[in-house]
Amino acid sequence: MRPQLIRELEALLGPKAVLSAPEDLMLYEYDGSVELGAPRCIVFPTSAQDVAGIVRLANRYETPIVGRGAGTGLSGGAIARNGGIVVTFSRMNCILEIDEVNLRAVVQPGVVNLDLSRAVEHLGLFFAPDPSSQKSCTIGGNVSENSGGPHTLAYGVTTNHVTGIELVLTDGEIVRIGGRSIESSGYDLAGLLVGSEGTLALVTEITVRLMRKPEAVKTLLAVYDTLDDTTESVVDITVRAITPAACEMLDGFTLRAVEDYVHAGFPKDCAAVLLIEVEGLKEAVEAQAAEITEVCKKHRAREVRAAQNDQERALLWRGRKEAFGAMGRISPMYYVQDGVIPRTRLPETLRRIDEISRKYDLQIGNIFHAGDGNLHPLILFDERDRAQFARVVAAGGEIMRHCVEVGGALTGEHGIGMEKNELMPLIFTPEDLALMERVRAAFNPAGRLNPGKVLPMGKACGEIRVPPVPAAAATPS
Amino acid sequence: MSRSAQASLTRLEEIAGGEHVSMNDAELRAREVCGVVPSVVVRPADADQIAEIVRFAIAEKLAVIPMGGGTKLGIGSAPSRYDIALDLSRMNQVLAYDPHDLTLGVEPGARIADLLQTLAAQKQFLPLAVPFLDRATIGGIVATNSSSPLRHAYGSVRDFCLGMEFVPGDGTRAKSGGRVVKNVTGYDLHKLLIGSLGTLGVITRVNFRTFPLLPAQGTFVATFQTAEEASEFCVTIAHSFLTPQIAEIADSGAARLLYPQVETNSATPQSWSVILSVVGHSAVVDRHGHELDRLADEANAQEFSALGESESVSLLTRVREFPRLVLESAPSAMVFRVNLIPSAIPPMLTEFRELANRAGFDLITLTRASGILYAAFSPAAGSEIAPGACAQLAKDVLQFNAKPEAHAQSMLEWCPAEVKRLAGDVWGPPRADLPLMQKLKNAFDPQHVLSPGRFAGGI
Repeated sequence: MRPQLIRELEALLGPKAVLSAPEDLMLYEYDGSVELGAPRCIVFPTSAQDVAGIVRLANRYETPIVGRGAGTGLSGGAIARNGGIVVTFSRMNCILEIDEVNLRAVVQPGVVNLDLSRAVEHLGLFFAPDPSSQKSCTIGGNVSENSGGPHTLAYGVTTNHVTGIELVLTDGEIVRIGGRSIESSGYDLAGLLVGSEGTLALVTEITVRLMRKPEAVKTLLAVYDTLDDTTESVVDITVRAITPAACEMLDGFTLRAVEDYVHAGFPKDCAAVLLIEVEGLKEAVEAQAAEITEVCKKHRAREVRAAQNDQERALLWRGRKEAFGAMGRISPMYYVQDGVIPRTRLPETLRRIDEISRKYDLQIGNIFHAGDGNLHPLILFDERDRAQFARVVAAGGEIMRHCVEVGGALTGEHGIGMEKNELMPLIFTPEDLALMERVRAAFNPAGRLNPGKVLPMGKACGEIRVPPVPAAAATPS
Repeated sequence: MSRSAQASLTRLEEIAGGEHVSMNDAELRAREVCGVVPSVVVRPADADQIAEIVRFAIAEKLAVIPMGGGTKLGIGSAPSRYDIALDLSRMNQVLAYDPHDLTLGVEPGARIADLLQTLAAQKQFLPLAVPFLDRATIGGIVATNSSSPLRHAYGSVRDFCLGMEFVPGDGTRAKSGGRVVKNVTGYDLHKLLIGSLGTLGVITRVNFRTFPLLPAQGTFVATFQTAEEASEFCVTIAHSFLTPQIAEIADSGAARLLYPQVETNSATPQSWSVILSVVGHSAVVDRHGHELDRLADEANAQEFSALGESESVSLLTRVREFPRLVLESAPSAMVFRVNLIPSAIPPMLTEFRELANRAGFDLITLTRASGILYAAFSPAAGSEIAPGACAQLAKDVLQFNAKPEAHAQSMLEWCPAEVKRLAGDVWGPPRADLPLMQKLKNAFDPQHVLSPGRFAGGI
């Protein structure tokens, strides 16, 4: 006989909105990270009232509760670490309102990121955060993780684009914070909630800003024979205060994998390329593109070419956005890092990653948001080789420590989740963490909402935990 | 002086040094908040001293209000208790400025005017064109979320603040965020401190991203017969490819404050001006000039003009200093800051106008087109209105907060202390998210030693 909790959930939501068979649960054990966790059941609410009912039941049964969008997260945010109920928002996927005059959209959390941009494309508008998983990731997930993407260099991350949120609190109450206006008085609750990784409340409706598409876009590809020249170019672009809309770097190793897969026309014999995009009024775009070309040439770029049309541009971006997928063709698994460094420290940091790669005898691909110093080293491995995996974890830890040492941060856009929560003491003191604990307790007093995420669980050890069995990787950012 | 007061003084002197603690009457009075005068002023040298002072306040059940230049202490409700004025003026150093990374870390007592000079030497700036620019400090600007016309293009403090260090109300030291431009490591606690009026923590360091100064600038003014036309013009610009960094709608009263040198101007009593500033390469500025002229024409503008450099500097300075100009010209004015969506601007202006006319007030408004409206009500020239009637008007304005369909949220930022006492909560009627704010207050400041009573709902 099915347990009482499952029956009560079915009574609340209908039998088709609850999954509890082992073969169904397996599909929800993982996300885009290398983490795993088995839930007790999966539920599919269709309204904030449903979510409130689920939360009240979870309280009665003292069961953990974890929100989930598309499961593309890269730090285990949507994994039921301590079991319990996974609340999947895939049936709350309506765009509720497009307020064209005020440049806002009101959406349910399960709306897919790219679907919103597509829905407003005919108005010349778009939703700015553009993680690489934007074809599948949801806006609810973007809010939880404060997602970024290549174009956040110019537009900012999710938090800069959310003005209001409807929440279900851990006592089942439904509350609205913020609003539709650009600012709200009172404490900036939306600022706290965005990026809280589902540990403070469940999000059931989001009001976001829509941006006007620029008049002109120019995408440049700069090709280099050395990594140092590439990174020095990025530093110089930053130093000269040129602000491209995106500035992405792919190293030669990654590039060859990408080119074999996507056929975007990337040169296969170079050390690295920069993919740089400038946008705005056509006068501004021309001026910026000329300045960037000059900087790249000064740093010995072998070639700087501009995409000649939208097709070429799309192909270059496809190469960037599907690079992680391309890695899957040459390695059974990879472990993606998300460290951030001050942008001027890029050259020494890439040299350090190279040293670490050799020290641990691991292949590391580099593909990242160079313009804002957000690194994504991809450490390739085979999960059947446990000894190798231990080296992967150690190498990841060394890269992370380097980022912290040069004044950076543990994660730029993928979140802390259950991947890096034990590393938080590298950045934060016990007092910092105690305050964060108190803030979490103010919203989530019983710790039942997404337990084991963001904050360290036990004694601060500062060591990377070795996950039990790495799972397959999804499309990361 | 009582023995306990003497003991307190001694302890504070031990912490901060005798010359940085004062009970001088003039010094105390200079730091009054809404008519409440502190018992002692302390000027700490660093975050450790602040933490010690806060722990001392907890032990002695004293209330602390942090302050910088003291230019915006009137904002918020009157404090329920106020013993120690924590003057942060000694903590005015730039702790880290890396122009190549476009990042900056500063102490709270640093004056924005000085910082802008430091940044300008590297051809950079912070988009904080805030009122009281000559005296305002970073801590005060952040703690009041002081509004800048540049928010149109650059957002507000929350959009370019990378992290903070602070002393929460338990007397520990804490931080969140960091020094890099992209970061999701841990909760963004520093966002809560922005606009918190010192009720959650004493800010001891703020990290910002800085921005490049651009080579050319242009200022344009278009005038319209109605608020609807002016507002429609701004909506059209927002939907165009154009990217002005400032877009403000001034009514005729505001225009008189903003263009003092032009007696008549085209700002006739019925006229509304839209003030636009553009920066970029000169080709970009020129293009804006042409296109804005054309759009203004299509929007039925009475006049469109490009300003010369000195006119432009004078106008933009006055736009920046608008709240201060209002208070200087009408010290008893009630100045509301209203957050609203662009489409709500014309109807809200009409509602305010009707309220003003009915109660015998003059109304002056300046509206950021992105949705921040400053409305100043003052007794009509030559008349006097009893504080009770002023308070009633305040309540009527704040009542719109309770109407979700208005998409407008007002706060009474400036008014005489007497009016504030009678008007009730200057933040408006209680709201659904207040219990969450109270829980956060308790998490940061369990003993309520920091600026008690100054925030919404008596927080």
